[in-house]
Amino acid sequence: MAIIELKNVSYKYPLTDSPALKNINLQVNEGEFVALIGPNGAGKSTLCYTIAGFVPHFFKGEISGTVEVAGSESSKSNLHEWVLNVGLAFQNPFNQISGAKYTVFEELAFGLENIGVPRDEMIQRVNDAMKLTGISDLADRSPYSLSGGQQQRVALTSILVMQPKVLVLDEPTSQMDPIGTREVFGVIRAMAERGMTVLMAEHKVEWIANFADRVVALHDGEILLEGTPQDVLTSDLLVEKAFGISRYTSVARKAKELGLWKGNRLPVTLEEAMDGFAR
Amino acid sequence: MNSFSMYVARDSGLHKLHPLTKGLLTLLLLVSGLTLPGNWTGYFLVLLVITPLAVWGKVFRSFLRIVWGISLPFILSVVIIQSLFWGSGTPIFEYWIFAPKVEGALFAVISVGRIILVMAGFILFAMTTRPDTLMISLKQVGVPSSLAYIIVTTLQIIPRFQSKASTILDAQRSRGLETDGNVFVRARAVVPIILPLVLGSLVEVEERAIAIEARGFNSNKKETSLIEIPDSNAQVFFRKFFVLLMVLSILARIAWQLLN
Amino acid sequence: MRIEIRDLNFTYPTGVEALRGISLTIESGEQVAIVGQNGAGKTTLVKHLNGLLQPTSGTVHVGDWNTKEHSVAKMARRVGYVFQNPDEQLFSKNVGTEVAFGPRNLGMSAEQAERQIKDALTMAELSDKTETNPYDLSPTWRKMVALASVIAMDTNIVIFDEPTTGQDAASSARIANVIKVLRERGKTVITITHDIDFCAENFERVIAMSQGQILLDGKANDVLGQDEILATTYVDPPQLTRLGKKLGFKQTVRNEEEFLGELKK
Repeated sequence: MAIIELKNVSYKYPLTDSPALKNINLQVNEGEFVALIGPNGAGKSTLCYTIAGFVPHFFKGEISGTVEVAGSESSKSNLHEWVLNVGLAFQNPFNQISGAKYTVFEELAFGLENIGVPRDEMIQRVNDAMKLTGISDLADRSPYSLSGGQQQRVALTSILVMQPKVLVLDEPTSQMDPIGTREVFGVIRAMAERGMTVLMAEHKVEWIANFADRVVALHDGEILLEGTPQDVLTSDLLVEKAFGISRYTSVARKAKELGLWKGNRLPVTLEEAMDGFAR
Repeated sequence: MNSFSMYVARDSGLHKLHPLTKGLLTLLLLVSGLTLPGNWTGYFLVLLVITPLAVWGKVFRSFLRIVWGISLPFILSVVIIQSLFWGSGTPIFEYWIFAPKVEGALFAVISVGRIILVMAGFILFAMTTRPDTLMISLKQVGVPSSLAYIIVTTLQIIPRFQSKASTILDAQRSRGLETDGNVFVRARAVVPIILPLVLGSLVEVEERAIAIEARGFNSNKKETSLIEIPDSNAQVFFRKFFVLLMVLSILARIAWQLLN
Repeated sequence: MRIEIRDLNFTYPTGVEALRGISLTIESGEQVAIVGQNGAGKTTLVKHLNGLLQPTSGTVHVGDWNTKEHSVAKMARRVGYVFQNPDEQLFSKNVGTEVAFGPRNLGMSAEQAERQIKDALTMAELSDKTETNPYDLSPTWRKMVALASVIAMDTNIVIFDEPTTGQDAASSARIANVIKVLRERGKTVITITHDIDFCAENFERVIAMSQGQILLDGKANDVLGQDEILATTYVDPPQLTRLGKKLGFKQTVRNEEEFLGELKK
């Protein structure tokens, strides 16, 4: 059952000549984890904003085609209603802190205050969300005193607490150090395992290979490839178009040419690489 | 504590006052300082009203440090400008392009008093008022959410700007920009520091607008609040009284101008 | 131009002891990567090289200059520093002017500045964007502008602070290429990076820091093979190094060439 459906979506930002998205057709089923890859400028962020409604409601510009999430159509909705269905988090955790709240607990309640949730329910939902993402120990800290990884986890939790139907993440670990990356992926994984539908733009190919159900490769505003992580991430097409690929894949490809790769298919993860070389 | 807000948590009577009470008191001090006659009103209000309040609020030492740090550049520019540009009058001394006059110096002193009053008032307010409780209380009296949000986050912006400006300064110095030296050297350094600060902030502001929108900021539902702010009948009375005093002192000033 | 650091200690005004007894020599033309968890002191160390920070005790010499005796602006003649966030640097109306800022500050002659700027723009693949306003470019390209504006200063030593954060593969390759050209020109390149694969593929010497001290300092192959010690400062080994270990290679490998070399044996 498709919970996100884009049909023939094209979009041009205001005051630009070339479209950022060209004829995108995409379906995401409930509970699926879809990874979005592509070079910078390919349209990953634009696609994320489109599903989240900010294109075109916030950014204006020209859009054609239909964007549907959980039965509602973006063009027929108001942004303030749409955001309740689609949660959005992006790269820079610092800019996702409201700046109006003094503790993490209150920061998490910010969204619920805005939509008029009664106080008792607010407290319950915030506690539950913190437990789910493992940040209960940060409740009394000031959001600005946290590390990048902690801030990003707070940002994710503050979206989760709104109970969206779908989660859109635009490169959530791009600016994290290794510890932060691990923490953030941990939270995302926990949410995915609970059945949340996730669309995530990401460069870290190895992680995608382990957790994504499907990978969509975007290039120059169009969908270049779509399929399982195995199929997409080892495709020669990615090399042709200068995508970043896993070093395991790249070295195995070269080893294959030298007759030193013994696996059936090219690897994406460490385990697959070990397997293929060790035989 | 939170190094990006001027708020300093203390267990003091001043902290426990309702945000609007403190806000209106600050405005009252400002208005009185600017409308009441006398050259030294600014200084009086700072010494006799604001300073005791700072002591009550248990923030006196940091308050002093911050007020001095922020006022100093303004004070220096006022003094310099008055020395350079005051027209006719009784000269104090003459050196190169600097020819301060008694009248100019007096004007500078009055202005400095007002500058310190404004700075001290707002800084004490920011130091003893939680931005979020201020925002809630503003919304409760009908201030639109977006305006309340802007006011509150602006209070947090000053320390944030300082930290950013410092990084920008480092980056530009590393590109050979001289910052130590005479006035002209320092003047040349202003644009390479201010522009990235402003331009970079615009990028941040857009992202933050998206982030709060994503958390229902523009929802048309009636808002609720996590925190309940303590208030009292006495404070309600005083707030009305402060507004009355402000109006009266403005009227008195207008009347005085008309009669003279 | 050699960098000589002797017994460097640095404590921040807040009381945090960020560097403890660091002694280090970097010879002219070396390519050094500094890795380690956030808070280890990497940026603090590197900020001493151009005088942004002054030692609490100990000395830092860049060539014959003691950093205590020269302003940061003066040190900029020998040490270029590319900061992590380009938005904390860019302010000119177009890319060309922005890249000219550094050379102009250093008082280069018009012809020399012209040459340097052109060269830097070519290296950063910005030659076709000189009239564009930096803020009209994507964050990826803004980073290249910031990089070009430091390269144009033609300093003997160039420091990169997290050059590949947020960049895609093509951009990382571009930056790797810039580093290669700098190496060929005999420049000393020092980088702070969390991207351990980028580090492994482009730097011959790796210094791992933790809690204000140097844990490991040596040839990349040696340092990157020491999993356990690296793990204490939250550094994962590069992908190919890990794979090589699992496959039982005798030598530690750090790039495709070395990996395939070992595989053939």
